[in-house]
Amino acid sequence: MTVTLITGIAGGLARLVGAEQARRGHEVVGVDYRPLPAPLDYPAQVYQANYNKTRIEDVFRKHRPELVLHLGRVGNLKERMGKRFDLNVIGSGKIMELALKYRAKRVLVLSTFHIYGAHPHNHTPIYEDEPLRAGAAFPQIADAIQLDNMATMWVWRHPEVQTVVLRPCNVVGPTIKNAMSRFLRQSTAPVMIGFDPMVQFIHERDMVAAILAAANGEAVGVFNVAGRSPIPWREALALAGVRQLPVPATLAFAYLGLSRLVSDALPPYLVNFQKYPCVIADEKIREAFDWEPWVSEVETIRSTVQA
Amino acid sequence: MKGIFHHLGSFLHEPKVERAIDSLPIKTNALGYDPWGFGPRESKLYYSLAYRLYQYFRPEIHGIENVPAGRVLIVPNHSGQLPLDGLVIAVACLLGAEPPRLVRAMVERWFPTLPVINQAFARSGAVLGDPINCRNLLAAENAILVFPEGAKGSGKTWDRRYKLERFGRGFMRLALQAGAPIVPVAVIGGEESIISIYNVEPLAKALNTPYFPISPLLPLLGPAAYLPLPVKFHVYFGEPMRFDGPFDDEDHVIEEKVQIVKSRVQEMVDEGLARRESVF
Repeated sequence: MTVTLITGIAGGLARLVGAEQARRGHEVVGVDYRPLPAPLDYPAQVYQANYNKTRIEDVFRKHRPELVLHLGRVGNLKERMGKRFDLNVIGSGKIMELALKYRAKRVLVLSTFHIYGAHPHNHTPIYEDEPLRAGAAFPQIADAIQLDNMATMWVWRHPEVQTVVLRPCNVVGPTIKNAMSRFLRQSTAPVMIGFDPMVQFIHERDMVAAILAAANGEAVGVFNVAGRSPIPWREALALAGVRQLPVPATLAFAYLGLSRLVSDALPPYLVNFQKYPCVIADEKIREAFDWEPWVSEVETIRSTVQA
Repeated sequence: MKGIFHHLGSFLHEPKVERAIDSLPIKTNALGYDPWGFGPRESKLYYSLAYRLYQYFRPEIHGIENVPAGRVLIVPNHSGQLPLDGLVIAVACLLGAEPPRLVRAMVERWFPTLPVINQAFARSGAVLGDPINCRNLLAAENAILVFPEGAKGSGKTWDRRYKLERFGRGFMRLALQAGAPIVPVAVIGGEESIISIYNVEPLAKALNTPYFPISPLLPLLGPAAYLPLPVKFHVYFGEPMRFDGPFDDEDHVIEEKVQIVKSRVQEMVDEGLARRESVF
């Protein structure tokens, strides 16, 4: 039995990972800065604590987790930039330090493929050791890049704790409530006139399997995680039953800039992901952890909106 | 939008193109796309449209049997302001090569930023001109179309017509790395299709385009001066050239090999020009 600390337990993905880890007979300890939206339906100790505050150390001291799954990156731009920096950069640094201090065996950090950035000069596919372009155009993503950089350095700086960094593509599914899943569940959505890039989606079930395969494996390093195969953005929207409203990209940027004041349907930096490709390669994780995605492209999208 | 696409498709429908695309051994996913966005369904429409333009230029194709099956780099001279030379080569390879070849054109970094064009290019098999794209496509036994002169070649002014600009070295390194043959190609007619007598660089810079050509027909025809003239194209595919040696060798070693290809293309261009009886 492994004591597993899972951050971001109030989120859909962490909740599923916790369920699977508990089903396999491991002790699950959950942490989140947000309250749980609904009680967990499996045995777990849950704490509400900011990742950058002292309370988080109490959790480590009490439970001494052997496995730390840091899934609690705040991607939601509804949170102010300062708060995201505190949670994602300072908080993640603290969690990694505590993992070291309390001798966790293995740490898994959930990053994102957004940090590569969707760019007209992107080739296909993008491998793990390539530059992270997103920050140049959109400083709002700086915290995610810094979190990833920090975790990546940690892999080599502290060999005494095995560190794995995952950079998944768009994680969607019936229980996921991130920006992309919400976007697919809209009845109407803007699309950029004259652009239809290839986009990758991974089903929550496959993502849970990828996290647990990486958590229980031996290899360390940075790994992209993609779904079955990339599909055109508009095919994805058609599969989701979203009515498409073609708009010029400049108008979309302006609209999303303004709409941030009232909603969080899509962060403006994601507009580029509707214009340019950002297709990632994931042969490395498949080989290192003997994992592969099972849910088809069509089922991945359909199950997200049928929820 | 889908309706317009459908009607346009039935209007342009070209059975030869459809048969050739259906015969391609390209691996696509359940929805019918490859990772770069090539989609046989939509490419049939774009290639049918390209075929109409191809017919407009009444091209004479020579030596298409030199395009082999499997991985290969097709290396032509570049001209004509718009990539019409690429279009003629692509249609010739699809309809004339045995087996039919889908050329994966390596496009300028400018094209992916252009609305509609980027989509048409991607669905038809073109990809961003990038070493990793090229390497992966060669590994999957594709035919790569690369213009080593780049935008400098297509943007040539009239006084520089049919004189090859400097060749980049990237294509040679990729050919060596993949062990792929190079088919040299000469395109005659491109330089006369859209004529440029001057490149307004400041305007190109302001509009973020690789060049801004001035046509001599501008005072006479206005914007219509930028429509291609009905010149006759002649395309010569040369015998495949093979090179050996490390792909990461010093620049001057690679450059020597590049010069061999460039000289061969220039030679073929000169021969083609000498053989041409009329521009139209």
